[in-house]
Amino acid sequence: MAPLYKLTYFDGRGFAESARFLFKYGNIDFEDIRIKRQDWPKMKNMLGTPFGQVPVMEHNGKQICQSAAICRYLGKMVNLAGNNDWENLEIDSIVDTMNDLRMKIMLVQWEQDAVKKRELKDTVLEEIVPYYLARLEALVEKNKGNLAVGRLTWADLYFVSMSPGFDAFIGGDTFAAYPNLKLLRDKVETLPGIKEWIENRPNSDF
Amino acid sequence: MSPHYKLIYFNARGRAEHIRFIFAYAGVEYEDERISREKWPEVKKRMPFGMLPVLEIDGKAVAQSNAVARYLARQYGLAGRNEWEALQCDVLVDTLGDLKQVLAQFRMEQDPIKKEEKKARLMRETIPFYLSKFEKMLSENNGFSVGSDITWCDFVFAVSLENFEHIFGKAALDQYPALKALKIKVYNIPSISAWVGKRPTTES
Repeated sequence: MAPLYKLTYFDGRGFAESARFLFKYGNIDFEDIRIKRQDWPKMKNMLGTPFGQVPVMEHNGKQICQSAAICRYLGKMVNLAGNNDWENLEIDSIVDTMNDLRMKIMLVQWEQDAVKKRELKDTVLEEIVPYYLARLEALVEKNKGNLAVGRLTWADLYFVSMSPGFDAFIGGDTFAAYPNLKLLRDKVETLPGIKEWIENRPNSDF
Repeated sequence: MSPHYKLIYFNARGRAEHIRFIFAYAGVEYEDERISREKWPEVKKRMPFGMLPVLEIDGKAVAQSNAVARYLARQYGLAGRNEWEALQCDVLVDTLGDLKQVLAQFRMEQDPIKKEEKKARLMRETIPFYLSKFEKMLSENNGFSVGSDITWCDFVFAVSLENFEHIFGKAALDQYPALKALKIKVYNIPSISAWVGKRPTTES
């Protein structure tokens, strides 16, 4: 039987890896569609991308975009969501926070002026990344090794799925000086389903 | 008994206004704390991630405007009728967020030539691309952004549409009748109208 879910993205981790982690963790069969760069302009305006962006999840003939929205929904399905609204609030708050951090890094990558890019990168590397990592480290310590509500949630998978991107930006191990974050990454990367996925997933630059 | 809410933000509509709309609609009391520019460096140090808005709920500080709005929406019946509608609220709010991000990058651009280029692209491509898709969805959904009743997503849209009119002029929404009608519908809700009538007047 064909998988009930389809996930469409570029051929990379990017904004789709978090959903892939959740599908794999929950052992939910999905079609992992990867668009080649040269096919993107054509795909962008077709009906398959509601707002011209990917990732897009398809289920029951309906298309859903926005990685955080998709992961929130999948998180509930695989029992990695909060037990009540307050817990979901904590999870949402930290997921949006890590997206803020990612966006600050992406603004560096999108900057085309070489001088500005260097300046911006220095600021992000020297001030912004350490600011966030210190607080995330403290939060994980407070939450018994997880990002929210004292146990594993989809926020942890979302965060760890992003970490190779941080490493590429920093040019090293982002969590080298952050033992709790390092432990969290190890924990998530060895979860059943995710461990095999990481070993077997296609290689990509991003 | 209702929790004690304190909403901390600048003296502006900005990223807090849709939260204020939720409180107004739900008839819920809250402290509407507005931080001045002078006080900000000191307050920043006390905020969970150095940013605003923050909502204190019975003394616990929570960051991220949409996480907060989603939570309040669930408390006060503004999150759609089921998980699929809740998902659609998230999709539209985040998609609108993408558009706002492009707008923010345009406004942050300091090089005048690059700024002009970005503006042209916004006006010619990005804004029409998004607004025409939103327009289509709204007109096919009986004028609500999600489902068949008001959700927090409608407030996020209405607030953004007000800002859009401020930036581009009152006539800017004329070519998007369904979006215009949504904004009017939300601003005509008695509790919202009362709030808008008494809130501090700010530039943004």
